Amino acid sequence: MNYKYIIIGGSAGSFQAVTSILASLPKNFKIPIFLCLHRLKHVRSGFVEALSIKSKLPIVEPIDKEHIRQGVVYLAPANYHMYFELGNYISLSTEEPVNHSRPSIDLSFVSAAYTFKDKLIGVVLSGANKDGAKGLKALKSANGLAIVQDPAECQVKTMTTAAIDETPVDHIFTTKEIIDFILNLEQ
Amino acid sequence: MAVSQPDIDRLIDAYLSVSTYNFKDYSIKSFMRRIEKLMMDNKLDVEGLINKITTDAIFVEQSVKDITVNTTELFRDPKIWHAIRYRILEKLKDQRRINIWHAGSSTGQEVYSMMILLNEMGLLDKTNIFASDINTDVIDTAKKGEYIYRFNLDYLDNFNQVVRQNPYNFDEFKEVPYSKYFEIDKAKDIIKLNSFLRKKPVYFKHDLVNDGNIFNTKFDLILCRNVLIYFNYELQNNVFDLFHESLFRKGTLVLGVHESILGTKALKFNKKGLYYTKK
Ligand SMILES: C[S@@+](CC[C@H](N)C(=O)[O-])C[C@H]1O[C@@H](n2cnc3c(N)ncnc32)[C@H](O)[C@@H]1O
Repeated sequence: MNYKYIIIGGSAGSFQAVTSILASLPKNFKIPIFLCLHRLKHVRSGFVEALSIKSKLPIVEPIDKEHIRQGVVYLAPANYHMYFELGNYISLSTEEPVNHSRPSIDLSFVSAAYTFKDKLIGVVLSGANKDGAKGLKALKSANGLAIVQDPAECQVKTMTTAAIDETPVDHIFTTKEIIDFILNLEQ
Repeated sequence: MAVSQPDIDRLIDAYLSVSTYNFKDYSIKSFMRRIEKLMMDNKLDVEGLINKITTDAIFVEQSVKDITVNTTELFRDPKIWHAIRYRILEKLKDQRRINIWHAGSSTGQEVYSMMILLNEMGLLDKTNIFASDINTDVIDTAKKGEYIYRFNLDYLDNFNQVVRQNPYNFDEFKEVPYSKYFEIDKAKDIIKLNSFLRKKPVYFKHDLVNDGNIFNTKFDLILCRNVLIYFNYELQNNVFDLFHESLFRKGTLVLGVHESILGTKALKFNKKGLYYTKK
């Protein structure tokens, strides 16, 4: 196994899973993590702070053309789509929302799949729409590893079941299992 | 419909063979996405698209407008407008004249936002406002100053935050009526800026990739927000040189809230929180 990037998509009901994952990662965890989370339109700031409370890793909203560094968690900024370019950097776009979402999980996953191919792990968490299903499919076709949060555990199942219907995913995990899996990557 | 990198290169060459539009240094990911969308909307494959670009001059113009992203808002990102009002314009207010350039002004909301603040500060009359974009359709919309209302309810919220409230003093609240600056027609679902604002700016078609300073003046303030994110690092640097040359000494450059001058060009500017000043 040689995964170098993790991308996580979440919407309604995913906040708790995201914070648990972040809280369990040690300070020296190296694999960069990209978070593409839908948020309420008016919650434009304060989200980084909320996520940072329990995280030992720095969480940043990237600026355009920012180089991807190890040990950093990148949160897609509100009202921007987040893309990944060859040469290991991030770019942003204000293109129209896709399926009412900006950031769009699909766009970020597709872009990450294209750039990182089999070095990428994608995780789809709880959510109330179908964003992420197409993205996870693209990730799988590019030989990435596809993980979906167990719908039984999700506050809202729509997003995870849509992802599972669309793609033969590699793992359906509870939050606890996702955490164990991620922690094992660097051992 | 996934396009490959060689396809993208051929498409870029096709545009270059029939026009001055040069997408070589655009951010690849976003450009790819826009090309895929263009192909879908026009039901064309890569060959069909190249064929159309090289044989149909009207399609070339139209498709360039579709490729570029034009989303914008009135007072987008209120916190930068707070800085513009209380830090940047505050410093310029005693000058005899103020020159401002909006580069990549799209459908004009940014220009109207600026004029509203200038008017609130009593500076509008002594300010020259230039606005430019590569896309003449958005310039026409900007001149018209008319937008869909219901889709844009955020505008009012942003207006309240920037024009009515003072972020540095929450007790202060100015009851500025909307009608001072725009008319809302709910039946027609439009919001239209008042004519004294519509008449003020001078609009230019200007391509940041190819064109230099065409305005015959330098500027106290240049805004270029959410435009350079569509350019790669090299092209961004060329544009930073253009802005540097086009600013007066100590002039101010405002980028989008998630943009920054990376690399050596940063040495030519001082970073002051959310904006830059020319060294
Ligand atoms: C997302 S809009 C930004 C609007 C506004 N500045 C804002 O932040 O709300 C980007 C604009 O850049 C323009 N643009 C793209 N490429 C350009 C170029 N080469 N030269 C000038 N303008 C360009 C597009 O036509 C579009 O109107």
